[in-house]
Parts: sequence; structure tokens; C-alpha cells
Amino acid sequence: MWLLAVLVKLGDAAAAEADRAAVSRMARGDRDALADVYDRHARLLYSLALRIVRQAADAEDVLQEVFAQVWRHAARYDVGRGTVIGWLVTLTRSRALDRLRRGRVRPQAAADEALAREVPDSSPGVDLALVSEERAAAVRSALEALPENQRVPLELAYYEGLSQSEIAAKLGVPLGTIKTRMRQALVRLRDAVAGQVR
Amino acid sequence: MTTDANDHDVLREQVALYAVGALDGPDRAAVESHLRQCDACAADLAAFRQVGGALAQAVPQHEPSPALRARVLAAAGRPERMRALPVVVPWLAAAAMLAVTAGLSVYVAQLRERVRSLELQLSDAILRVNEGERRVNVMLRASADLERRFDVISAPDVRRIELAGQPAAPSASARVFWSRSRGLVFTGSNLPKLPAGRIYQLWFVTTTAPVSAGLLNTDDSGRPIVLGTSPDIPTPIALAVTLEPEGGVLAPTGDKYLVGATQ
Repeated sequence: MWLLAVLVKLGDAAAAEADRAAVSRMARGDRDALADVYDRHARLLYSLALRIVRQAADAEDVLQEVFAQVWRHAARYDVGRGTVIGWLVTLTRSRALDRLRRGRVRPQAAADEALAREVPDSSPGVDLALVSEERAAAVRSALEALPENQRVPLELAYYEGLSQSEIAAKLGVPLGTIKTRMRQALVRLRDAVAGQVR
Repeated sequence: MTTDANDHDVLREQVALYAVGALDGPDRAAVESHLRQCDACAADLAAFRQVGGALAQAVPQHEPSPALRARVLAAAGRPERMRALPVVVPWLAAAAMLAVTAGLSVYVAQLRERVRSLELQLSDAILRVNEGERRVNVMLRASADLERRFDVISAPDVRRIELAGQPAAPSASARVFWSRSRGLVFTGSNLPKLPAGRIYQLWFVTTTAPVSAGLLNTDDSGRPIVLGTSPDIPTPIALAVTLEPEGGVLAPTGDKYLVGATQ
């Protein structure tokens, strides 16, 4: 079973169902369910957090915050809103970006503050949806193949949380141009997910 | 309220950015509102949400440390749980043995982390106990001090003496409660801050010569100072405070800062 479980891919329907069941168990106070979800998804979430915050210690803190929040809010999870992993990925990105932004402002004070207070829900917005490994690989290739003037704004938005105005200012490009390029980049990636490109 | 075709085109452009979490502020609110009433944009959203997920999956993959697992589970307020070990299936026996070994090494790492965490908790607890003892001692001292003051002030033979500021410190003043049997409480206010190497000294001025009643280790806020006095000290006609070299002197040498008649 253990070896088979390793083979279960993210986004797989069985894993999605197991996640939903685990969150329901968490809501009833079953702490083993938290370990189950962690074992299934920690690698992906940790890798995303590390890409955003860049320091292993910060990425670990992000994961701890995310799972603490999942544990506390399991009862409020709405199964209709999407997959659990979509929720986890959204939370992880949001928390990692929060940490990155705080670090940009006041690195040490922000870290102390973060330790001292309950982390607020920073309303991460729409949940992301995972795709199969194959589709993810297609997106990775499509991302690498994007012209630099489309790829860089998208990476700044997604992995560094910069607003479009901030990206325009940073790159010295008009805001309208940034919007158009990001839209073009996302359309190409959407086509890659749908298997319509290359 | 419905959006017109023009708004629709503008907002549809934004759905892609919204779906990957790259939109905030009023733009985000406008898109959210539009999505509730536009099926076409809602369909776009579903496609772009997958792009958001794929971008999350597109990063280089790294394995988190076993210690992190222990931390995360401990943070949910529970003791560490053993990772489930594999069921041994005959044709997987060799692989299962490897898995057991891997599981055990993870478990050992988790136990180490747990021990380290408990050690930290223990040293934290010891520090807290020490701090608690220190506070109790401070409170006991404060309580004994208050008791002594009350003892002096409530003595049957207590006398109250007001001391007025002198040219060296015109705005200073002090009040002294003196009981021959129980001691003396001194409360000063507006006494100038002591220069380095100097101290205030209280004198009982008698018909013959001033007799030292003690050194005033007064602080800036003029906190009452309790002094013991000798029972055989002569009855004074006045009390005075002078500024003297640190350690005090046998007879006053410095300027008078406070003086008050005992009558």
C-alpha cells in the first residue's frame, strides 16, 4: 500500500477524494488526517514556497502556517469550492507572498511580529486547480518558450506577488503593455494545458 | 445590475490574471462581481485556474526535511505519530524491507526532533521557575519594606517633620516620620539628581552638634527611604539634609539642601 501510494499522482481523483475525506476527519478533530494530507502534498507545497521565499527556513515556516490554518479551518472548508490541494496551493502561495512582502519592508521586525501574532486570512482569492504531471510539464515547457518580455512579467506577478503597476514600474514599461503581455502569456499557457500547443 | 458588452470585453481580459491570483484591489472586486453574472467568463476562469495550478507545479521540486513534518504535526497540538509502516506482501518483501528501514530512519529522526523539542521545553520551564522565584523574592522584599514603613508611621511616639528646600535646592521638600522606638521614614521630592561620587546625608541637629541619621539613597522619584535610628540619639531641634562625599561624613561639610524644625 505504501509503495502504491507513492505512485498516486497529484490531481488523481482518488487522491482528491482522500483529501476531502481527510479534511472532514480533521474537522472532527482527527489529527492523523492532518498527517495524511501532509504526507501527500508537503513536497509540492514546500517546493512552491521555496520558489517564492527562496530560504529553506522561511519556506518551512510558511508550510507550518499553512497546515496550522488548514487544521483550524477544516470545519469551514467548502467541498464545492474545488479540490483540497487547490486550496492548499492557493494558501501556500498567499502565505509565501505575504512573507516575501513583509521581508521586503522590515525583515526582522516582520519576522518577530509574524511569530507573535495569529496569522490573518489574507483572502487568497480563487483556488488554483492542479493538472496532471504531463500537463504541468507542457506548461513548464511553454513557460520556458515564452518570449522574455511575456515570461518575466508573469513570473514577477505569480512568484513575487507584484501588482501590474509595480511590474510596469520595475521594468520601465507602460502599464497597458504589461497587461497585454501578461494576458498573452496566460493564453499561451492555457493552450498548453489544453494540449493545443506543440 | 448587468454589465454592458464594453465592460464585458474589458473584464474578460482580466479574468486570466484574476484566475492566477495576479489581480488585487478594485480590479479584483470588479472581476468577481462580473463572474457571478457571466457564464462565458466563468468558463474562462476554470481554464485559467488550471494555469495557476500548473505554475505552482512548474517549480523545481525539493523534499522538505523530516523535522518539518514533526514541527507541523506538533503545531496542531498533538504528539508525534508514527508513520504507517508497509504491509509485507510476499512479492514486495525486499521493497518492503527497504521501506521499513526508510520508515524507521524517518521515525528515528522524528524522535530526535521530539527529544530536542522536549529539552527546549524543559529549559524553558526551568527559566520560568527561576523567574517566578525572583519575582516572589522581590515581592517579599517590597512587602517587608511596606511593613516597616507602616510600623514607623503607626508608632505611638511618631513625629512628623516637614523639611523645606534651601538655596541649593529651593523647590525641594521632604517629609520625615520619626519614631525613637521604631525608626524613620523619609520621603523627598524635587531633590536634585546626585552628582557622581556624592550622596545626601540626613542630620539630627541637636543643641550641641549635628548627629548623622544616615545616608539617603533616594531615587529620582523621591521614593520613601526607611532608615534605622539609634534609640539613644539625642532629641533634635531640627533635621537637615546636606550633600556629602559618597560614604558619608562624621560632621556636615557640604551645602544644606533641606532643613526643618522638629517643632
